[in-house]
Amino acid sequence: MQKLLMRKRDQLTGLVFVLPAILYMLVLMVYPLVYNFILSFRNLTVMNFKNNAAVFIGFENYLNIFRDKDFQQALLQTLWFTLACITVQFSIGFVLAVFFNAKFHLAKPVRGMMLVAWMMPISVTGLLFKYMFLTEGGVINELLKVFGLMFGSPPGWLIDPKLAMWAVIITNCWIGIPFNMLLLTTGMSNISADIYESAAIDGCTVFQKFFLITVPMLKASILSVLMLGFIYTFKVFDLIFMMTKGGPLNATEVVSTYSYRQSFTLFNFSVGSASAIILFVCLMTVGVFYLRMIQKDEAM
Amino acid sequence: MMDRVDKKLRVESSRATVRKLGMDFIALLVALIFLFPLYWILISSFKTDVEIFDKNISFWPRNFSFSPWVTQLNDNDFLFSLRNSLIIAASNMVLSTVLGCTAAYGLARFKTPGKRVIILVFLVTQMMPGSLLLTPLYLMFTKAGLLNSFPAPVMAIATGSIPFIVVIMRPFFLSLPKSLDEAARIDGCNAFTSFTRIMLPIARVGLVTCMVFCFLHGWNDLLYSMTFNVKTAMRPLTANIYKFMDKYGTKWNQIMAYGAILVIPVLVIFVGLQKYIIGGLTSGAVKE
Repeated sequence: MQKLLMRKRDQLTGLVFVLPAILYMLVLMVYPLVYNFILSFRNLTVMNFKNNAAVFIGFENYLNIFRDKDFQQALLQTLWFTLACITVQFSIGFVLAVFFNAKFHLAKPVRGMMLVAWMMPISVTGLLFKYMFLTEGGVINELLKVFGLMFGSPPGWLIDPKLAMWAVIITNCWIGIPFNMLLLTTGMSNISADIYESAAIDGCTVFQKFFLITVPMLKASILSVLMLGFIYTFKVFDLIFMMTKGGPLNATEVVSTYSYRQSFTLFNFSVGSASAIILFVCLMTVGVFYLRMIQKDEAM
Repeated sequence: MMDRVDKKLRVESSRATVRKLGMDFIALLVALIFLFPLYWILISSFKTDVEIFDKNISFWPRNFSFSPWVTQLNDNDFLFSLRNSLIIAASNMVLSTVLGCTAAYGLARFKTPGKRVIILVFLVTQMMPGSLLLTPLYLMFTKAGLLNSFPAPVMAIATGSIPFIVVIMRPFFLSLPKSLDEAARIDGCNAFTSFTRIMLPIARVGLVTCMVFCFLHGWNDLLYSMTFNVKTAMRPLTANIYKFMDKYGTKWNQIMAYGAILVIPVLVIFVGLQKYIIGGLTSGAVKE
């Protein structure tokens, strides 16, 4: 009896500590989420917002969105952006993680400094790269010229629809590489040096050590870096909004900028909501795997 | 015999030294490439208007000029945007830290009912795209008359910061021995005073990391402030960038000075707390 009381008391105290945050999240996250879901099945626009004339229209928004050529393009471009970024970020991040895991004087300071890129306001990063990618007066074209890599006329990074996506991918990788590197380095530093030593005694080469020890031992880190990378990259907004606003000619439009444009440029709130839901569903398909993975090693 | 071993050792150690120097050199190259954009934002912000418009790009300012910085720091629009940024960042820091830390402690120390679900919800929230809450929150704030106010962006930003704190601080509190709290209770603390007087001070490293991150969440926010606050006077620096681009046109030295000032707090925080930030980050993002 005494024990049961104690247990109840313990539960109650816990609840008191958690309750403020729960209530906050219920009002400002769960409710809006449900509201968003309902909105996506109605036809709310700025026109019928004031007089509450929006009606239930079922899946019409979703059907229209999937039929919309702009959205199809945005979805494909989001996928392409994500895949390109993850590939570049992860491979360069991995190489750098291995490199900086070695012991030499500048390893730690340089690795630390690179992280600044990741912490900067993305709006400033976007602005800065917009300046650097200018066709005339941009330092990237100047560098290409200096190193003799410019063939023909200077590339219009942000005004040529064929190049704009590459410009935003490069910028995003500048942010993503240090992040990937850091997470992988942490994983690597957890591999005990003894294993490498005994492998060396057994006569393993550097490559064998890498592929037979480092990669398998890092499996969990690698998976979570890739999944987190997907989640963070797929929902990109600030960077593209700052650099191109989805242009030129929709060449860099992604699902999040499409959703924003629907809600706050065209004021088709319901269409914006529905496209945000589609974005969320895409994220959660990967997110579920990530959650499963981290819940396995979480002692609850 | 001894001589030979000695010689071999010396050759080997000098080889290792050369290899280390080579790696230092490569590291410098990597740093050069990665930090170049930061160099560029700074160096461009010290160029004169003439030089910024010059077709021949200079990699070092020909005439060092502080005028872009002076112009920005004397521009009223800039100053109130700066003030707004500070208000939004500080408010988010206080709000999220208070709510997030107490929740993290409750989920770590007690047998709170529904723990699994609550933690899961916090984890899912971290994956949500900003645009998912944007439209409904916009409509809610419109009805509540909260557009063009500071609470609007702050409340929205905190929906991201609170889960972040819970995810990072819960393992932190879990690692503290339960006996600490029990001893404090015997000494006359209740659950709450034990939390504020004993547990929080012990967890201060994690606490400071979280506060810094929440400050930066608020400082870096663009989406919410830009959407909820249409009035320039209520917008922080990030959301007013476009206004400044209209104002200064292609005077990129001005725009870069503006950007550089926005980066300064990030740099200061980073240099001061690098150790904790990296530790806090990795404990939250990857579970080992």
